[in-house]
Amino acid sequence: MKKQKTDLLQGTLDLLVLKTLQGSPKHGWDIAQRIKQLSEDILQVNQGSLYPALHRLEEQELIAAEWGASENNRRAKYYKLTAAGRKRLATDTREWERFTWAMAQILQAS
Amino acid sequence: MLRKLTRRLRALLQKDLMERELDEEVRFHLEKEIEQNLQHGMSAEEARYAALRSFGGVAQIKERCRDRRGVRAIEEIGQDLRYAARMLIKQKGLTAVAVIALALGIGANTAIFSIVNAVLLRQLPFAEPERILTLWENNVKDGIERDDVSPANFLDWRERSTLFEEMAFANPHSLDYLGDEPETWQAALVSDGFFRIFGVNALVGRTFLPEEYRAVSDRVVILSYGLWQRRFGADPKIIGQKLVLDSEPMTVVGVMPPEFKLNLFDQEKDLWAPQVFGEDLRRQRRATYLKVLARLKPGVTTERAQAEMNSIAAQLSQEYPQTNSGVGIMTVPLTEQMVGRARPALWVLSAAVGFVLLIACANIASLLLARGREREREFAIRAAIGAGRGRLIRQLLTESLLLAVAGCAGGLLLATWGIDLIIALSPGNIPRLDQVGLDRTTLAFSFATAMLTAVIFGLIPALQFSKPDLHNCLKESGQTTTGSSARHRLRSALVVAEIALALVLLVGAGLLLRSFDRLLRINPGFAMDKVVSLQVFIWDRYNTPAQRAAYAQQVLEKLEAVPGVQAVGITTALPLLESGTDTSYPFTVEGRPAAPPGGEPTIFSTIATDGYFAATGVPLLRGRLFNQFDTTAAPGVTLINDTLARRHFSDEDPVGRKITVRFTGRGQPSPTTLEIIGVVGDVRHDGLDKEPRPEFFRPYTQSPSGSIIFVVRTSADPLTLVPTLKARIWEVNPTQPFYSIATLDSLISDSLKARRFSLILLGSFAVLALALAMVGIYGVMSFTTAQRTHEIGIRMALGAQAGSVLKLVVGQGMKLTLIGVAVGLLASLALTRLMKSLLFGVSATDPLTFVMIALLLAGVSLVACYLPARRAMKVDPMVALRYE
Repeated sequence: MKKQKTDLLQGTLDLLVLKTLQGSPKHGWDIAQRIKQLSEDILQVNQGSLYPALHRLEEQELIAAEWGASENNRRAKYYKLTAAGRKRLATDTREWERFTWAMAQILQAS
Repeated sequence: MLRKLTRRLRALLQKDLMERELDEEVRFHLEKEIEQNLQHGMSAEEARYAALRSFGGVAQIKERCRDRRGVRAIEEIGQDLRYAARMLIKQKGLTAVAVIALALGIGANTAIFSIVNAVLLRQLPFAEPERILTLWENNVKDGIERDDVSPANFLDWRERSTLFEEMAFANPHSLDYLGDEPETWQAALVSDGFFRIFGVNALVGRTFLPEEYRAVSDRVVILSYGLWQRRFGADPKIIGQKLVLDSEPMTVVGVMPPEFKLNLFDQEKDLWAPQVFGEDLRRQRRATYLKVLARLKPGVTTERAQAEMNSIAAQLSQEYPQTNSGVGIMTVPLTEQMVGRARPALWVLSAAVGFVLLIACANIASLLLARGREREREFAIRAAIGAGRGRLIRQLLTESLLLAVAGCAGGLLLATWGIDLIIALSPGNIPRLDQVGLDRTTLAFSFATAMLTAVIFGLIPALQFSKPDLHNCLKESGQTTTGSSARHRLRSALVVAEIALALVLLVGAGLLLRSFDRLLRINPGFAMDKVVSLQVFIWDRYNTPAQRAAYAQQVLEKLEAVPGVQAVGITTALPLLESGTDTSYPFTVEGRPAAPPGGEPTIFSTIATDGYFAATGVPLLRGRLFNQFDTTAAPGVTLINDTLARRHFSDEDPVGRKITVRFTGRGQPSPTTLEIIGVVGDVRHDGLDKEPRPEFFRPYTQSPSGSIIFVVRTSADPLTLVPTLKARIWEVNPTQPFYSIATLDSLISDSLKARRFSLILLGSFAVLALALAMVGIYGVMSFTTAQRTHEIGIRMALGAQAGSVLKLVVGQGMKLTLIGVAVGLLASLALTRLMKSLLFGVSATDPLTFVMIALLLAGVSLVACYLPARRAMKVDPMVALRYE
């Protein structure tokens, strides 16, 4: 089965990142892996987009960063959601659901 | 919000730290990826390559992350500045030339602007100066636009007008101070309300109280700041002290501040005193000598006030037809009155320095275009890595800005010197010149000019170089023979522009020069050199005509006896000398029908001795001069000047005819009949550029005036004789102060000072412009011939003569010059009409001037083209062929 790397829009990447961070703080690698896992490999994040996205979200104060020790005791930068980030996650999720419902309606009509 | 700010500050200040963190973050990710790949069974090398590939371009990702930091803009500006500074320091020659040219251009503009600002733009230092007007009598029929006002008219104007808060006058007067070092001071007698019009309070003490305008005893005066400083050492205890002026003690009650300068009279006033109105003053309607000022009521416009005054003038001309028929009222805002005269010259100078700056900018742009060739590679590489066009333009503009800032600094320095120089050269009748300096407005202007020039000369090269021909530049050999054809056209266009601008300036200067020359050639009507005048007023000491005649006779005899004196005379009015006694009276010729009342022609009266004509060299054209038989017992006689003779006796001999002159004013005789005994030559009384006026002379013996000007012709330099002459005059009366002492040719040269000043300034700028333009064309020609060295080598190797190569190169340059000259001539035709008011005897499109200047420019240009061409010719063809 050929895996297709679906292009992700910038806004959707942000949403995925925020959702992924809903649980415990993670570093960049973790986030990428998690997205891959949860989507059963359909969504493979382009690392080239991930880090700029992380820095952008940090700039917008939706996520906060902290340096900590990783599993094998190496230094890594961990990201977590801020209160503003949590709020944005909620609104963006609602938006996304509305969007997909609308798309589904149109595509189903024949 | 605060966190955002802190983060941005961190990004700026702790850049290294953040870079390392980014590095580490990326490395961590890569290592994890590599680990995973190893687990999947790849070899170490494969694992690494796969990880890197999936990650993407590390450098670009890092760059995009950096972009997110939000301080990109500031960082880039910092980078640009540092880089620009490095580049400019590396190209020392280019930088030096550019900065010098900019300093000259910006400095000149700043200096002229500071003058324009102080004289024309800044508000007068009075309260609401736009509401202050000056009022004048005017008589269109006699061609008088602004005449002083008579006391009776002033009183009626004040009484009948409703739109003014205050109306007052200033009456010029001189007061003799007889303390130590006797001097005659210029004073103004003012009416009540004068100081209120300006809203200015005394610096020390107070202005006049209402009762002081009525008091005949206990006279008071107010000093000017200048006098207070000069004679009284700025001592505040002067208030309350008494000064003896005109043999009367007067108490000083105040001192005016230094900015209280009105420029209404030819000389600034030292003193103000209240004018006491006597009955005789109230009746004076014909004699005009008051300067009237008024302040509009709030909300009233000048137009309304003018309309009201027009109707008042109409009323008066009906009520007093003998004196006021045809007399209108002219309102002029004070600002316009004070500085209006200087306006045309200042605007012309501003335009001139603007042109000079444009030429300098064109030169620098040209230079940058030429030198930029070496940097094309650098820009090509930067474009290849991904610098956007905007970024490259920004980089180049930053360099231009740095140049401009350096030029601005140099320019400000030059401007301070320039301003001092201009003030030293100035003719002294430019108002408010003492307030010129580098104030905030001027500094802001200077800076803004610098920024604007940076854009002007920086934009052209920036646009050119920011789209480099990548393919060509990155090749090894970097041939640019064809690639710069657009650039060459651009430089040629710049040169054409420079030449056109320089031509306009040169034409302007040339026209002024010709005007000046014309003026100098005018026969003033009198011999200018070796004549000195000494002016005294003897009214107070010698009360009767007999006493005055006796005094005059004594002095004349003593002066004639001085060795070195060739002729001595007396007059009451000297050409070009403001003596305060210039009055004209109506007259009729006996035997001719009388003109309607108020419609008689007027002629100017002077009283003189026969020696006056000898001393000034005014020729006798017909008849005879005064002699010893023209006494008070004999019938009244008069000499008329040529203008009067031609105007009123055009077809007959005036000698022997009689005229009746109606004298008016204090102390003047009633209508007097005089027999014309002769005609003398014209004298240009009001200045070389004004027509002579119709004058008649009466012999001093028949009407001994108290306003005496002794005119002495000497065989040697008159100034050496002045102390002796003064001593002789003092022998007759030791306490006689001198009102003024001047040589005739200094009077003439004073009257020319203003023109000479404009000429010097405009001429200097024109020469500067020419020099800059020639440097420009020389630069371009050098450059193109260097470019074409290869081609020239080929031609010469193929047998071309040196002469034809020369013709080729010079021909190119001259083609540009001719286009520039043509454009410049067209521009001059359009623009010189704007300076018409500065010209004399020369039309604004004088063909001779235009042609001469065009030839001059072409000639200088030819030299500028020839020099590099000659160098090109000397090149050894073998060397040229190898040159790439």
